[in-house]
Formats: sequence, structure tokens, C-alpha cells
Amino acid sequence: MQRVKMFTVVLFRNRFKGSFGVYPALTDWTRRRGVHTSATTLEFHEYDKRSGYDTGLEIADTRTERIRLGLKQLKKEIKLWKKEMQEVLISDPILDYRAGEVDVFWRFYEESSLDHWIVTSDSDHAEGFSKCDLKIGHQGYGLFHGNLCSRVPKDGRIQNSGYCNMMTKRVSKSFQRDSFLDWSPYTHLNLRLRGDGRSYLINIHVAGQFDIMWNDVFTFVLYTRGGPYWQTTRIPFSKFFFASKGRIQDKQAPLPLYRITNFGITVSDKADGPFQLEIDYIGAEIDPTHHEETAYEMYEIQQNYIIGT
Amino acid sequence: MSNVLRTCRGFVLFFNRQSVKSVQRGFHSTESCLDKPPKVDVVSVDSFNNVQEKNKKTYLDMLRVYRMEKYRSGHVEFINTAIKHLDEFGVNEDLETYKKLIQVLPAGKFVPQNYIQSEFMHYPKHQQCIIDLLQKMEDNGVIPDWEVEDMLVKRFGPRGFPVRRYWRMMYWMPKFNNLSPWPIPKPAPNDPYELALLAIKRISSIDIESEVKVYKTKELEESIEDTWIVSGQSPDQKKIVANHPENVPVYIEGGFRIWLRKQSIIYFILRTEPSPAIENEEEDEDDISNFRVPFFDKPIPKISDKIAKKKTVHEQEDGTILAVAATGTSSKNSLLSWIRFLEKDGNPRLTHIPILFTSKSPLGNVEPLSELDESKKEVEQSKQKVPIE
Repeated sequence: MQRVKMFTVVLFRNRFKGSFGVYPALTDWTRRRGVHTSATTLEFHEYDKRSGYDTGLEIADTRTERIRLGLKQLKKEIKLWKKEMQEVLISDPILDYRAGEVDVFWRFYEESSLDHWIVTSDSDHAEGFSKCDLKIGHQGYGLFHGNLCSRVPKDGRIQNSGYCNMMTKRVSKSFQRDSFLDWSPYTHLNLRLRGDGRSYLINIHVAGQFDIMWNDVFTFVLYTRGGPYWQTTRIPFSKFFFASKGRIQDKQAPLPLYRITNFGITVSDKADGPFQLEIDYIGAEIDPTHHEETAYEMYEIQQNYIIGT
Repeated sequence: MSNVLRTCRGFVLFFNRQSVKSVQRGFHSTESCLDKPPKVDVVSVDSFNNVQEKNKKTYLDMLRVYRMEKYRSGHVEFINTAIKHLDEFGVNEDLETYKKLIQVLPAGKFVPQNYIQSEFMHYPKHQQCIIDLLQKMEDNGVIPDWEVEDMLVKRFGPRGFPVRRYWRMMYWMPKFNNLSPWPIPKPAPNDPYELALLAIKRISSIDIESEVKVYKTKELEESIEDTWIVSGQSPDQKKIVANHPENVPVYIEGGFRIWLRKQSIIYFILRTEPSPAIENEEEDEDDISNFRVPFFDKPIPKISDKIAKKKTVHEQEDGTILAVAATGTSSKNSLLSWIRFLEKDGNPRLTHIPILFTSKSPLGNVEPLSELDESKKEVEQSKQKVPIE
């Protein structure tokens, strides 16, 4: 866990600003007023998995209502649990993964297939002006479309803006226990889509137990041709690089395919205007000739990097 | 430092007034110091705004003027202000400008002298300011070179935070620089004609035999406009057109949008209804009601329906694409001229096939022609409004 993120540098500085009060570039004006012109963070610890973003999950105000809703949920959860137990008893695993056969995880053909997905953009958190939507198109394919806008709202806090994102819900078992997707038999991601020439980002989230691992994500670029033709894209999982909170990490690692929590596609290429990405399916396949674990160098560098980085 | 200055100023006041007022009042004169306007930055925001011609030369001149000042101070403020005006002066993709910006900081002054200093961010504002500059380079896709490393090491030492960021950039940025399977030249052209060529070539890359041709509408007698048409069609598509039945219409659909890095181009397609899907009659292998024993029964004449002609890439399930084009005006007239050119250029059958303009397409969102025309008119009008001097 020797990962120090880029932003920790900033946090570290703020820490000194708070406790000692002597900071060479602090102006007299700021010190006299006793006003912090920027938010101060006194520790690295994070309390919230969503980093303070509005969850929209507070559905009930009163305790009685919460209990009522909870009991309603209990019914569903027991049904789910029953199904799980049946599956355990039936025990019908995939025994053979054949080369070149694509196992589809998500396909877009009816409204209910959109239930797996959450669509967000910066305007949802009042951090920008992008708008997006995921729907089933005319021909029965998933259509992720919207308008990307990299204009920064003038609130003095936000420096960059302009993203739209679609992401699957967290995989969970009954009683809302966290679960994982296991893609370890596969070597390649396989998507069939029709884009508009933009490059998108494919995010495979592997959120871990501790706060430092909550934002772990493996990312790769999805180039689209644009035009009226469909394209099938195969991306080896070994190509995915490790990032956290939008920063590529210095210490790379192979993608842990056995514990995937979410899958997402982002567009944030700073080209303002409408975008659209039609998706037929998202799946994976195995290529027995592909042995690469990670495409990035794994050797240690002695001199260049200091404390954890 | 500013504290010291302020006290000095206080003393100056105090000595000036000493002759008239009492000593006590002199010490309270810091109050009047506060009423003075706050210290103005060395380079105010206006100094970049006041430049008449905004280009690379004037931008570098601004940096030179600042470096010529006798008492250079406020480096960080200057660089931060200068970063904000990079886009405006059109130098955001220019490596030389970034180097000059780094050179605004003096070499050797901020180098940490021991490990404690080097690990705890010696001169943090200066380091952060250069980190922001490198971030800006990364955002604009400018890959630094080895000279930048030398400059950073001279200013912040071999363990400086900007140097570490530079190493990260030099590891990752070249990896992604040429990754795209459909590369766009850098810097990308601004001319819509060049962009249209790139876009149609990119779309046509699906079929290696595709030909991209440029037509000038002037060459047609009946055309009203004078513009260019970039058209892409492959021999396979010509064959499909040649075998197209005369009673089935062909649609001109669009405009669709294709993005080439940060610019977009509107293109149109010539599409027809999809060819009927190859039907595979599913045979139930477990059904033994009609079981035939090869020794006793007559052999069935095997007429296989399993063999079919393989579909070309242009025959998709949501339509068969016959040609792709982008025109200079994206108008109906230019598209009509496009069809005329296609007729002359190896698709004589198109004269017999009904051709329809549609504003809706099963292939995603369409930007309607009328809207495009209107927006263009608006642009033209706004251009006309500007008085030409």
C-alpha cells in the first residue's frame, strides 16, 4: 500500500498551513482575517465512500418510514437469498471457456437492461454544465448520448469540468452484501459499438476494503471510428492501467480480474458539443495465446522516486 | 517580508509627522497604512489583456519584458497569470512557450540544500505553480523534451516535485501519443475541407478498397452553388448500387457528426433498407418423429440452404450504406450535386432509383438540414454586422 497520490502533496501542505500558521507565501491579509481561502484537510483519512458527493439515497425522513421501507426491502432480499441458495444447490458453473467465444455481460435490448446502469455528469453535482442520458435507441441498442461542456462554473473551487459517465451499479448479493464480478477466465474485453469519433474511457473499478482503495480503477482508452459503421473492439485486460481519483498511479499492477466491482464508460475529451455512443453489447473473451499480465513496466526504480511514490 | 515593509512604512510616516504631532500618534499610524490600496501585483491581469495583437510573438515579448525588469519579483503571480492567457494567444500547444515560462523562474535559487527541505516541498508556491504549468501541458497534449528536465532540475533540484511530475509525464505521454488507430495530424487542420477529407478517409477505413474523391460543384452545369464535395465509396458499394431494385428507394440521411479530436464535421450517408437476413431454419436434432434410416429409406436429395453469400461490411442490420460524403455547405443542393457526381462516377443505376431526403435516421441522432442552414445564416449575418474597416 505504498501509494501516495499526487493530491496528497496538496493535503500535506494544507496540514502545515493549519497547525503552524507560518507559511511563507501567506499574505498578511489572510492571516489577520483568520479566514481560510481554501478548504483545509487535516488528515488523509476519508469518511465517505463517495467523497462527500450527494448520494441521493436518503429516501426516508422519519424513523418509522425507514422501518416500513426496510421491512418492504426485507421481503425482496429474502427472495434474492432463496434464489442464491437454489443456485448453490443446482451448482451449474461454466466448465469450458472456448477461445474466440464472447460471453456477453451487458446487452442493451429492452428498458429493463438499463436498470443496471447509473448515468452521471458534472451538472448533477453543480460542477459543470454537461448533460447526458442513456436510453434504448430506435434500433434497440443502448444509446449513450448528451452534450459535453467543459465550461467551468465560477464558484472559485472547481478548476476542471466536463464529463459524462455511465457506470454499472455495485455488484451485490442478497441483504445488500457487497459482491464481486469474476472475470479471471477472460483475457480480452470485447465491445460492439458505434461511436462518433471521440475517444472514450473504459473504467473497471476494483474498489477495495480500505479508504485508500475505494477509488481504485483500471482504465483504458476506447477509440471510436465514427461514421455509420459498427465496430467491434477487443482490448486486452493487460493494457488497463491503474488510476485513482483521476490520477495515474506510479506503482502499476495487473488488473485483479477476480474482484471487479463496477464497469463504466466515461467521456471527457474536452471537445465541447454533442456526443453519442451506441452500444450493442459489452462482453469478454479468452485468447489462449495472450499471456501478458500487464503491459507496463514492473521493475523498481531506485533513485527517482522518493517516499512511497 | 511584507510585514517588514509595512513596519518600515509606518516608521517613515512616524518620522514625517514627528515634527508636528506627538510620538504616540506615530505608532498608531499603521491604521492609515491599511486604508491605502493593497499592493498591486507586478503583472496585473490587464497587462496581458492590453496586448493588441495576440500571437506567439507578443506573448514571448511579454515574458521578455518581465525578465528585463530590474527587481524581478512575483514570479508565481506572473506565471499563474500567463498560464491563464495561453489559449487566448494561441500558444497552448507550443513547447517553446512552455520552456520560456519555466525560464521565468531564476535557476539555482529554489534548489533545496538538504533532505528535509527537498522532501517537505521547498518553496511550495513556486513548485506548485510549475506543477500547474506541467498539468496544463499534459491537458494540451504537449510532450516535454529533455531540455525541460534540465531546466526543472536547475530550478528545483533532482528531487523537486515538478521534476517528479515531469518523469511521470515522460513515462506515460509517449505511450498514448500514437495509440489511436485513426491518427489525426498534430496540430489538426482548421480548414473544413481538410477536416472533411480526414473524416471521410477515417469513415472509409472500414473497407480498404474505398476511394475518397473530391468533386467541385462548379463542374456540374445545373448546380447552383460553388462548393466542394468529399465523397467515399468502395467497389463493393458500387456493386450493391448496380444490383439495387428500381422500386426500392434510397435515402440521403444526415447530417451526422464525426469528431476529429476537438473539431467536428457533418457528414451524410446514402443508405437503403437492409438486405433480408439470412434465415437459418433451426433443426431440432432431438426430434425423432421423422427419423430416417439411411439403409432402408431413399436418400434425401440434399439441397442445402446453409450456404449464402457473405455480406459485405456495408450491409449492416440497420441499413446498407451505399456512400458517404461531406460537403462545404451541407445544403440540399450540394447533396443533389453529390448524387449527380455519383451517377457519372460509376453508379449509372442511381438515375433510375427513387432518392429521398430524410430528416430522421435509424442510425442515431440527426442534425436537421434546416437547422444547419439557419445556424449558418446566423453566422453569416453576424459576420455582415461587423463593420469592415
